[in-house]
Amino acid sequence: MKQKDEKLSLLLDDDHEAEVGAVLDEVIADVNLQYRMRRYQMIGEAMRNELPHAIDIAFHDEVMARIRAETGASTQQASREPDSVRPPSLIARSWFRPLAGLAVAASVAVVTVALWQPLQIRDGLSNDALVSADEQKIQQLAGQQITGGAVPVSTRVRDSGTHWKMENGSPVLQQKLNAYLVNHTEYSNSMQGLIPQARVAGFDAQQ
Amino acid sequence: MGTNLLDAELVKRVQSGDTAAFDILVQKYQHKVINLVGRFVSDQSECQDIAQDAFIKSFKAINSFRGDSQFYTWLYRIAANTAKNYLASRARKSPGYTVDVEDAEHFEGESGLKEYATPENQLLTEEIKRTVFGAIERLPEDLKSAITLRELDGLSYEEIAQVMDCPIGTVRSRIFRARDVIDKELRPLLE
Repeated sequence: MKQKDEKLSLLLDDDHEAEVGAVLDEVIADVNLQYRMRRYQMIGEAMRNELPHAIDIAFHDEVMARIRAETGASTQQASREPDSVRPPSLIARSWFRPLAGLAVAASVAVVTVALWQPLQIRDGLSNDALVSADEQKIQQLAGQQITGGAVPVSTRVRDSGTHWKMENGSPVLQQKLNAYLVNHTEYSNSMQGLIPQARVAGFDAQQ
Repeated sequence: MGTNLLDAELVKRVQSGDTAAFDILVQKYQHKVINLVGRFVSDQSECQDIAQDAFIKSFKAINSFRGDSQFYTWLYRIAANTAKNYLASRARKSPGYTVDVEDAEHFEGESGLKEYATPENQLLTEEIKRTVFGAIERLPEDLKSAITLRELDGLSYEEIAQVMDCPIGTVRSRIFRARDVIDKELRPLLE
């Protein structure tokens, strides 16, 4: 402790052996050293008759309180830490939202492209190739002969206008068709399944 | 008294944001500034307010202090201007009360301060003076000479060593011991 006091005395006299920085660190950290420094200062002032007629021992506290009150905001601003010394979590937080948004947008783009590819290319074929394959299949089906008891839709052919005629108008086929229509009507909640057929039949009947 | 190193270090710390360093500057120079303002303004409470304003202004402007002059010279200018501005402002507000700001610099402020100082604070000042001078009278001659040459005559350690014909280390020790003895008597008054 004695060493500190002696260095404090040297510090006040600005002696080169005072180790100014180190002693000041101790003074700022130790309020008792500050009081002692103040008293050492006061000894010189008393000897030189420089003391005010009325000493206000709270003067410096009042000054510092006013400084804190008046410059608190600007002091905080000035001491604001730059980004480079902020904790990593704060940096991450400031960049997190835009990065997260970018990641979500990229994910959506990737999913969209991934889903678009199967629509565009199926089994390695392009859209034109798919259309061409469908047409070939239709032509192939059209060229097939009807065999056995199966009644493919293609047995109906348009005669003229909206008049359709069955190429195979056997009674067995008619019976099956009627039975299908009746069964379909029974299980349907509405007449929608029958009406288009009825309209066509009605239109044709009038003609 | 050379105080360049200490003041320069304190100013550097304040400029880098260490407010506690400014507290030490205030403690160091408060009585000088109050005495200076007392030459302009006789009222004790006004004097204290203006001195506080001067310190606050200097704190706010400390980044503009480049160290071309000593800190106290810079602070002195701020305190004197603050007091002059106060007088000019008061003169504008009260037409019947006029003060020449140039003349105010040569006022002897002590008589005015005596009138407005509280009895307790005046008593404290008197007690401090009495204690310090009493303690110095009781010091051994070598310590008394060393502290007197330092504080009253303002000699450097080297100059004191020459005057007292002793090593500079002895001067350092004597001045510290003298302060330590006086401080032991002064401390109870200020606690």
